[in-house]
Amino acid sequence: MLRALWTVSALELRTRLRDGTAIVIAVIVPVTLATLFGLALGGDDPPLKATVGFVDLDGGEFPASVRREVMAAKELKGSVTLRDLPSREQAGRELESGAIGSAIVFPAGFSKSVGAGKGGDVAVLKTPESPLAGVVASAIVDRISAVVDARTLAVRAVLRAGVPGDQVKELVERNGAAGPAIGLADDPLAGGKIDLSVYYGSGMAALFAFFVVGASFRGLLTERKLGTLDRIRAAPVAAWVPVAGKAAVGFALAVAGALLNWGASVLIFGSTWGDPAAVTVVLVAHVLAAAALTMLVTSRVRTDAQADGVIMIVSFVAAFFGGSLVPIYNLPGPLQAVALLTPNGWTSKALTELAGSGAGLAAVALPVGVLCAIALTAGGLALLGFRKGLLL
Amino acid sequence: MTALETASVPAATATPALACRGLSKRYGDVVAVEDVGFAIAPGQAYGLLGPNGAGKTTTISMLVGLLRPDSGTVLVGGVDLAADPTRAKAKIGYVPQEIALYPELTGRENLRFFGRLFGLPRRRLAARIDEVLDLIGLTDRADTKLGTYSGGMKRRINIGAALLHRPEVLILDEPTVGVDPQSRKAILDGVERLVEEGMALLYTSHYMEEIERVCERAAIIDHGRIIADGTRRELVSLVGTADKVELVLDGDVETAFAKLRAVEGVVEAARTGASSVRLIAEGGRYLLPALITAVEGSATVTATQVIEPDLEATFLHLTGSTLRD
Repeated sequence: MLRALWTVSALELRTRLRDGTAIVIAVIVPVTLATLFGLALGGDDPPLKATVGFVDLDGGEFPASVRREVMAAKELKGSVTLRDLPSREQAGRELESGAIGSAIVFPAGFSKSVGAGKGGDVAVLKTPESPLAGVVASAIVDRISAVVDARTLAVRAVLRAGVPGDQVKELVERNGAAGPAIGLADDPLAGGKIDLSVYYGSGMAALFAFFVVGASFRGLLTERKLGTLDRIRAAPVAAWVPVAGKAAVGFALAVAGALLNWGASVLIFGSTWGDPAAVTVVLVAHVLAAAALTMLVTSRVRTDAQADGVIMIVSFVAAFFGGSLVPIYNLPGPLQAVALLTPNGWTSKALTELAGSGAGLAAVALPVGVLCAIALTAGGLALLGFRKGLLL
Repeated sequence: MTALETASVPAATATPALACRGLSKRYGDVVAVEDVGFAIAPGQAYGLLGPNGAGKTTTISMLVGLLRPDSGTVLVGGVDLAADPTRAKAKIGYVPQEIALYPELTGRENLRFFGRLFGLPRRRLAARIDEVLDLIGLTDRADTKLGTYSGGMKRRINIGAALLHRPEVLILDEPTVGVDPQSRKAILDGVERLVEEGMALLYTSHYMEEIERVCERAAIIDHGRIIADGTRRELVSLVGTADKVELVLDGDVETAFAKLRAVEGVVEAARTGASSVRLIAEGGRYLLPALITAVEGSATVTATQVIEPDLEATFLHLTGSTLRD
């Protein structure tokens, strides 16, 4: 029976490679789209390599501490570069020319004002052309604000308690409200944890996995129309051979396509998707779920044209709500919940986790489990449907 | 002399190459096939006649394992299709009505694909492909894509794909639909040769003359049931032994017609024109001298035609429709 399976698979593979659809759908289109999305929407130089202008008109302790913390933050190393600039005007010009993606401006007297419990304003200069750098600068300033607020509050409390002015600084620092320990480690990019090239690379891989496996199952309906499916079934082979033969090829091509998307993302953008073993497991689980869902569609429609239409609808709906086209965090709250009804949502969640935290397989056990459960459920329903016509 | 005329009933003790009994299939309230049964011995060709929608394709689908019958059994070379489908199917060569081949592959590649499904070892398969290509007369075109073939050539490859594993029984579902006369002749010649070599054959066709030429026995199926089964002579006898006799007369046709009606053996008589009459007569061909003598003095017979009952008439008689309806 394995020989028959191999025979069916070999013909399917040969057909898919010969007509070029496999390479186009699995590799060329998703890699191209991911690259275009990455370039168009990433916008930085390149994504996750934000250059932030640093204008220190204060010259005091506070800006120096911020610079020190940012430069020392491991999570930002290699990603965020601070460029010292002499003035706000210069920062504006640099921003306009694209030399920097954003800028933080500490006004003169900032440290003194904070030290006196009067707070202070830090300006952030952003440009729509470099949204990621803007997010980085805003995140840094948000942290600064929190520290400034804490320090201002502490200073005021100490002053109100009647502590002499020359002892305030020492008292506040001794009690932990002194330094601008901006602690960016936990939230380097408010609004999105991973490189956009990773996001769109994985999104396109997830979307096109549906098309790649769907094409194989659609082929079953084409063969039914041609009469070759009946001819195969009339041969001394098990009923599952035609379905399994095509499924195996669709699955292998989709996995290969997803892995190549990953490779292309690394090569083109230098992005990091996270632990290779865990990423592979997530991608394989996603393709399994996509295969089962497209198999379910194929088992319930009558013609290959219907299959094309329904698979396209299912793929794009899952891609949109699952964050393959639009980052999940950009969706309204209720839609973010809907994302978890799609395999793409769980895949996106898992890959975001891996890319953002550097975690291993254990961290994505739940998403992988859900993807496998989707595959089992949809696959089971598909087999029930296949019994009416495609199998027996 | 046609194959149907020379038929002999296979020995009851021989294991049939294909036998089915009590086959039934319903779709909701619609009875597609009901209680169909027949047996085909090795080396015997069996025809299945029926109008569109009579249940031929449903029956064949159950015989080759594409459709699970609601009831009944199928034995292929003594192997129960339901109990051991793999072994039973290995004995069948199935030629579907449509061209069930891959147009993007060459003729040889198509044969290789279907041959592999039957588990033929690589070298043996290569040799068999050459033999089959020779049998169907397509050796010269074997390595060109099927999409460039004529309809007749595709039909031949369609049949060839079912012969690679030397099946015990070949099932042909309307194998000559839409083919040119040359290809039809090649197909029928090839099929006859296979039967002579001992292969059992189940043949369905809209062309009565093909069934008469190729098959020793035939069944007439209508509304899902076999309504008649036997050799040509047995089937034709179902509509009686009366021949149709057509005469053209010169002279007093009216008087001659009256005399003809009175001849013993004439069952029915009708005027079909100013000088022509049609008679239905038992043993009409033997009655001709008596008919000619009967009209002497009134008219002379200038032309005669005796038409014996045929399968077409039998089919019409039994089903109330022609095969091409």
